Amino acid sequence: MKRLTIIFILIVLAACVKPEIDTEIRFAVTTMPLNLDPRYATDAASARVNRLLYQSLVYFDAQSKAVPSLASWVVVSPLEYQFKLQVPRALFHNQTPVTAYDVKATYDSLMTLKDSPHAAEFSNIAHIEVIDNDTVLFHLKHADKDFPAKLIIGILPNALIAKSHDFSHDAVGSGPLKLMGWQNKLTLKRSQDNQLISLVEVKDPTVRVLKLLDGEIDLLQGDLPPELVKYLQTKPEINVKTNIGENFSYLGLNMQDAALNNQKVRLAIAHAIDRKAIIQKVMVPNTRLAAAILPPEHFTNLSDNNQSHFNLIPYDYNPDLAKKLLLEAGIKLPLKLIYKTSTDAQRVRFATIMQAQMQPAGIDLEIRSLDWGTFFEDVKQGNFQLFGLTWVGIKTPDIYAKALGSASFPPNGFNRGRYADKTLDELLAKEDWQSATARIHNQLPYIPLWYEGQFVAMRKKIQNYLPKPDGNWDDLATISNYAH
Amino acid sequence: MGLLKQLSSFCIVIFGVLLLTFLLIHLIPGDPVEVMLGESASVADRVQLRADLGLNQPLIQQFGTYLAKITHADFGKSIHSKTPIIELIKTRYPATLKLAFLSLLIGSSIGIPLGIYAALKAGHWQDFVVTIVSVRLSAMPAFWLGPMLMLIFAVWLGWLPVSGMDSNASILLPAMTLGFGLSAILTRMTRTSLLEVLNDDYIRTARAKGLTEPNVILRHALRAALLPIITIVGLQIGSLLAGTVITETIFSWDGIGRLLVESIEKRDYPVTQACVLIVALSYVLVNLFTDILYRLSDPRVKFG
Repeated sequence: MKRLTIIFILIVLAACVKPEIDTEIRFAVTTMPLNLDPRYATDAASARVNRLLYQSLVYFDAQSKAVPSLASWVVVSPLEYQFKLQVPRALFHNQTPVTAYDVKATYDSLMTLKDSPHAAEFSNIAHIEVIDNDTVLFHLKHADKDFPAKLIIGILPNALIAKSHDFSHDAVGSGPLKLMGWQNKLTLKRSQDNQLISLVEVKDPTVRVLKLLDGEIDLLQGDLPPELVKYLQTKPEINVKTNIGENFSYLGLNMQDAALNNQKVRLAIAHAIDRKAIIQKVMVPNTRLAAAILPPEHFTNLSDNNQSHFNLIPYDYNPDLAKKLLLEAGIKLPLKLIYKTSTDAQRVRFATIMQAQMQPAGIDLEIRSLDWGTFFEDVKQGNFQLFGLTWVGIKTPDIYAKALGSASFPPNGFNRGRYADKTLDELLAKEDWQSATARIHNQLPYIPLWYEGQFVAMRKKIQNYLPKPDGNWDDLATISNYAH
Repeated sequence: MGLLKQLSSFCIVIFGVLLLTFLLIHLIPGDPVEVMLGESASVADRVQLRADLGLNQPLIQQFGTYLAKITHADFGKSIHSKTPIIELIKTRYPATLKLAFLSLLIGSSIGIPLGIYAALKAGHWQDFVVTIVSVRLSAMPAFWLGPMLMLIFAVWLGWLPVSGMDSNASILLPAMTLGFGLSAILTRMTRTSLLEVLNDDYIRTARAKGLTEPNVILRHALRAALLPIITIVGLQIGSLLAGTVITETIFSWDGIGRLLVESIEKRDYPVTQACVLIVALSYVLVNLFTDILYRLSDPRVKFG
């Protein structure tokens, strides 16, 4: 009997052969893309993969200025923008060239789709005219100076749009990577050298780290608690690279709340959070203090000769001053506030730290940790006093009007705190970004927190990949596997 | 007759499940139209899409349409991925089934023999050791046991993959994680119910007739002690088929539980609706089979 048991165990173990690690580069992600059709995709993972599968008419440079990608443009009139495709002509993955007809078909289809979350963004387009094979003219209903910056939707082949091709699962674009398959993992092939890259979903941070150490995956990016990043930095077989981030984390405030409508109370909250200590103790390297939605290196914060005129100084931690401000505002201490956040462990950790930091300032913070769907629904409905969120991938300054303009209360925009300020509206209308950000910094319709640092951890054989400030995965177009 | 009564109550439960899953979309906060179109869509677009989806019709009419679609296995499409939900279920449910049955196999092949052993050695040090081990195993949560097994079998020993579904061996660690917990419960249950019958007269009679000890234990005592074990196994299969969210998440196992939780997080209402329906049906079916097994294992049990 014993012998039989031993033989059985040996057979089972012999069957347990680990999958052979080939030359494919395996990239662990927290969440798989949901939809590879750029007309529908809204989640960050889909947006990041779609940047590699498709090419758009424009993209953004390091200062977040819109620059030509597939096409360059001229402003014919305030209502007409002409785009000319760049040479050499890009090719779709099915080897057909990208033409003006594809551009027209993409945006025409986008405007006619009834269930696309992006359709509203392009409702200003009156019609699209193809001038010739390489040139397309957008006619607008109303003048929009920032119109080119909106044309970041990946271009799809006209012939496949006509056939109602399912781009959400079978992407055909002209980007550097081509979709090879999507079952348990998403497999991509680089057109240039046939390098295979696969995206594997691993939700649990500890498991992601174990898989990286075990060599089952080759790299991971972001979404790890700082202690795991520090642990990986001690491992000789792992290379950790960090970079500054530009995704803006903040505390949202409800202006319809009697106490929070008072600027002194908002200022008191800003002084009641020791952000430097949080960044130092519980955040990943390269995290920096934030003072405005758009970071100092954004073009709105640069003069014509690229000199920064960003001079907003983040509020320091001063609980005594915070308490004084609350008393001046006529608040009976302690001020009881409810802070809503998601169930993400790191977000809950921030909340508990802030709760402790606010106590000496006379603020009694109650934490409500909700599942993402309920939490975000409450935020959108204005059912909150305080909440914590991050703006991800923001490039254009119209975010200030969309998030803080008095005409942007949901559903017309993202002004979830229902902040209304005529002075700010006027400054935003004039596109006086410097004065507008100063006004926001002074009035505090939100409490700025930080731009979280970006990092990537990869096995030593992986080269040519750097984390980007907005967390995109663009370097998958250049990444190399030196074991290959 | 009893079986017919059982089946008719099964049909009533199924109808209740269908009604509740249909109402789910109307009861929970949020709006599928807003999820699809985003926050900044115009009112006209929202009204149009609501009409296209039939959400502006009276509830009873919507329920009728829902039932008609379900009979054709049409659960609709995912709001986010636009994949037909039946395709998602077809890929996710077999994965959960596989994991559930392997876990059950591991759990029962460890738990029942250990329970028998503990009962036979009741009061001795062997019983004490088995009790300690089973209590420890049942106290280990999956989110701790899973990574521990990964560390031992994948990172240190290098025998098994950490997680994923790439190879046949990938199922072993999640199945062990679930199976160990299950085996602990089964050990305790088998021990207790076997101890209850071991001192009964018919066992003494069997021994007096000169039957061998294995024969007495396996053919007489164990069969009589089987009812509570079947109850526990039935309940456990039900919860395993409902998807073991934490284990599936830790091991990147694409099962129904993970699909359900993801759909709730993303407010993908039709997917949530379909998953809840499948999970509820699994529970009801497992309960029905448990009742039938009761009858087979003990003829004294009648369907009431």
